Amino acid sequence: MQLTRDLLLDAYRKMRMIRCFEEKLQQLVLAGKMAGFLHLYAGEEAVAVGVCAHLDARDWVASTHRGHGHCIAKGVDVAGMMAELFGRKTGLCKGKGGSMHIADMDRGMLGANGIVGAGIPLATGAALTAQIKKTGGVGVAFFGDGASNQGQFHESLNMAQNWKLPALYVVENNGWGEFTPTEFVVPVADIAERARSYAMASAIADGMDFFDVYEKAGQAIGRARRGEGPTLLECKTYRFHGHYVGDTLAYRPKQQAEEWNQQRDPLDHFERRVLEAGLLDGDDLRHLDGEVAAELDAAVRAAEAAPFPDPSDVTTDVYVSK
Amino acid sequence: MPTPIAMPKLGMSMQEGRVVAWPLPLGATVARGQIVLVIESEKAEVEIEATASGFLRHTYVAVDATVPCGTLLGAIAETQDEPFDAESFRIAHDHPEAPRASATAAPRAAAASEVAPPHGARKPIAPAARARARELGLDPARVPGSGPGGRVTREDVDAWVARHAHRIEVAPGVALEVPATGRGDSVVLLPGFGTDVAAFARQLPALESSFRVLGVNPRGVAGSDAPPADSYDVARMADDAACAFDGRAHVIGASLGAAVALELALAHPGRVRSLVLVTPFVAASPRLVAVLEAWCRLAAEASPEALASALVPWFFGAAALANERMRARNVRGLAEIVARVPAATLVRQAAGLLAWSGTRGADLGGISVPAFVVAGADDLLTPDAAAVARAIPGAEFLLVPGAGHAVALENYQAVNEAILAHLSRSNADSPDRGRGASSVAGRSPISKDR
Amino acid sequence: MPRILSTGQAINEALAIALASDPDVILLGEDVAGGGARDGDGVDEIGGVFGTTKGLVKRFPGRVLDTPISEMGILGTAVGAAATGLRPVAELMFIDFLGVCLDPLLNQAAKLRYMFGGKARVPLTVRTVSGAGMRSAAQHSQSLYWMTTGIPGLKTVIPSNPADAKGLLLAAIRDDDPVIFCEAKGVLMLRGEVPEGDYTVPIGQAKVVRAGGDVTLVALGATVAVALAAAEQLAKQGTEAEVLDLRSLQPLDEAAILASLEKTGRLVVVDESTPRCGIASDVAALCVDRGFDFLNAPVKRVTAPHTPVPFAAILEDAFRPSAEKVIAAVREMG
Repeated sequence: MQLTRDLLLDAYRKMRMIRCFEEKLQQLVLAGKMAGFLHLYAGEEAVAVGVCAHLDARDWVASTHRGHGHCIAKGVDVAGMMAELFGRKTGLCKGKGGSMHIADMDRGMLGANGIVGAGIPLATGAALTAQIKKTGGVGVAFFGDGASNQGQFHESLNMAQNWKLPALYVVENNGWGEFTPTEFVVPVADIAERARSYAMASAIADGMDFFDVYEKAGQAIGRARRGEGPTLLECKTYRFHGHYVGDTLAYRPKQQAEEWNQQRDPLDHFERRVLEAGLLDGDDLRHLDGEVAAELDAAVRAAEAAPFPDPSDVTTDVYVSK
Repeated sequence: MPTPIAMPKLGMSMQEGRVVAWPLPLGATVARGQIVLVIESEKAEVEIEATASGFLRHTYVAVDATVPCGTLLGAIAETQDEPFDAESFRIAHDHPEAPRASATAAPRAAAASEVAPPHGARKPIAPAARARARELGLDPARVPGSGPGGRVTREDVDAWVARHAHRIEVAPGVALEVPATGRGDSVVLLPGFGTDVAAFARQLPALESSFRVLGVNPRGVAGSDAPPADSYDVARMADDAACAFDGRAHVIGASLGAAVALELALAHPGRVRSLVLVTPFVAASPRLVAVLEAWCRLAAEASPEALASALVPWFFGAAALANERMRARNVRGLAEIVARVPAATLVRQAAGLLAWSGTRGADLGGISVPAFVVAGADDLLTPDAAAVARAIPGAEFLLVPGAGHAVALENYQAVNEAILAHLSRSNADSPDRGRGASSVAGRSPISKDR
Repeated sequence: MPRILSTGQAINEALAIALASDPDVILLGEDVAGGGARDGDGVDEIGGVFGTTKGLVKRFPGRVLDTPISEMGILGTAVGAAATGLRPVAELMFIDFLGVCLDPLLNQAAKLRYMFGGKARVPLTVRTVSGAGMRSAAQHSQSLYWMTTGIPGLKTVIPSNPADAKGLLLAAIRDDDPVIFCEAKGVLMLRGEVPEGDYTVPIGQAKVVRAGGDVTLVALGATVAVALAAAEQLAKQGTEAEVLDLRSLQPLDEAAILASLEKTGRLVVVDESTPRCGIASDVAALCVDRGFDFLNAPVKRVTAPHTPVPFAAILEDAFRPSAEKVIAAVREMG
């Protein structure tokens, strides 16, 4: 795929939207205006956007508890997401799902997931559907370094490689599994190594660099669409906030965080690269910043004004048929 | 647990009281709130209400006696027939610390999970029994239970109601058992010699969906009172029956019951909407007389089963008799019925029947209500049923081929169909003149089981 | 000429009809083809541990998939496939293995539709073998359908005979909700008349397989035969039992249970599962809650004891409900 101006503008807008969206949520929670477990994606924008830039309506994405970024990257409606997080009837899931279960089946978004690793087999299933129905689509699973220790990860990769499914497994290695450093619980230096057990192709990308993710993801997705099988793509990245909003980060060395926040910010990196290469100019980017801010504000206001679900909604949508 | 009636202390200064009257006879049904005793204290007469429903089982103090406050005067028991030890009850009442004579724990059942509740503890009552009792306005605690641990089942409630339903006083001190079922215009059932309303068991399902059916057990039969007498006159039985229902009713009588029905129609014509006479007679045939004699002897000297086995050949036709299983079943069923009519009653009924026999033949022409006569072609006991039909103006007649004296049992489908047709014809021809007919003097219900 | 098939054959027929009539239907599971369908090597397929899926991989190549021994992966993949347009029939070889793959069923299949506000559909069928009777011991003989019954969002069905097995499986596959289809070992061994062609048995509908007025015996799967045997004995003793085959555990045909209880006033539940938090208790609670005034006697539950399933034949037979135990319960309840 060509790095066209439109593609770059779209990529920046999405990354900026993710960043602003997550920070807005942080404010809302700390102000007591939003409830529930919220897990912020800020810092990892380049991974979601870099991968999803290759995806279209044929493709499915399964995500994690830290799923807002994947939703936005896949084109899910921001206002609908905000209303869902506010628990309103107009939310994407009618207020029934919340942050950890945001989904939009119409946009190929199989949902954020509250169970670590659970999205991996789901995406594998989506890839199976694509293969059997010959849609040319791919199933993409985003998950963390912690999830790569789950049985479902190993079982899914094994099965996908056996059947050469059109799948992409994106492990976002941000150095921390909840409150535990990755190196304490993962014996291999690169999680991508694990693909070898399954004779699966793998790659490692700098998760803070949109362009590196974009290139490596493009290769993997191309392979999948050509029927050459799945890939494990490890993106080295960093999460700027705690595991969840309210996490005091007592377990993480402040200096480490500061380094990543200040020197490795993916949005700063993208801006430097596109300006240097003359692909976009500053006005373009500031204009998009303004658009994003306005859209987000509108989304918050609309969500706060939206009606609550009716208590009778408790019993709806359990089954398709009684 | 029986409920005591004690001399109340009606005021700080009252020390003693005098028993003025016991308005109810012993054994009578008592409703909670009903006046059960009249006493006098300090020149004033006071009516004392019963604090529980049940039956007045015992009175300890006679009229005119004066006793201190608190003295046990009488006892109301939950049921009419449970064993009641008056002396033990009095002792327990007067000395509450002493262990009650009746309060012994029932032996634990052998089964691991089921344990019989100790006597005196709350009685186990199945939910279905409670619901049924509620429907009938009845206290289920009064019903003896046949389930494990003495549990009262729905069947127990139904059986109890069948035995103790609506008792109606038809004469001073004489109450008849009148089990009632169904809804609609009234139909009265009068059973024959030596039987009770269970003889109409096959008619009930057909009738109760459209009619209010009142079975009248005559004096001396089943749960009805049995006042001593040399004879139970047919006219007296007709007067009794007239007191057992309100307003007008269709009257169905079998055999002796048909005779009572005829008397009823002749003596109280305004009360009878139509007549159904099953195997009727106006003059007892010699064969009938002989069978009644044998009946009385066997009742006195033999078992109900033996009596029933002797009667079955007279009651049923050849086909029913030829079927061994059916014959055995009929003997068992008839035995249950005849067991409920004591020998003394039979003697009195027989005397009344014979005295009536032949006296009303000429009067049948005066009957003006629609009549329907059913008889069995093989019935040797009442062979002149057809003559009865001919004597009543406009009477319809059905002769059921192959049937015996118990045609209403034996060929119930045909009989029911014909009765229902007759009843609907009569309803059309003789509409009820209006509800709320004044109650007949002298009748007062003793118990409404509420 | 009535066709007599085993339950396994009836299930095979249902699967073939489903595969033939809908291109979105696939089968996946351990050994469902069995042997990898390697024609060229001169080996024959197993067609499942009980031979139930034999012959299907040849007729429907590419749609009958052998999987690794990865219950989590199998079920999770099946859920994902179902949510994205296929209609998979996954096999969980023994319901005892539910422990290895509970999450895809409990937290994913059962909840996607609800959590996503009605926008997802998971038309997944899970076929699984349950129950005792083959001396397979504690970890291969359980009847854990009470677990799936209790999970909102799942449906659970359990046929008692070959004809119902075929119709109920077709209904399950065509149902758009995730359905757990239990093949009780005691039922797999049965043979019976099975109608030809395509037909379904409605989910959520129990069946009175023997009418009677004195006591209701509610049974499911393998215990239906036990209840019928008990009913025959009871009839000789003058008690006419009504046997109600639940067929469907969730949704449960509450109306049928209450109607039968109203008729007889007495009810026994016969279930080969263990007693705590199970179907028997569920039905008993329903009777007490909504059929209270019909009860002429306590509700009795004849179940396995609160133990694992033992191995020795004499022990396993003592573990399972029997006609004698049912009759004893009927006598005890009064």
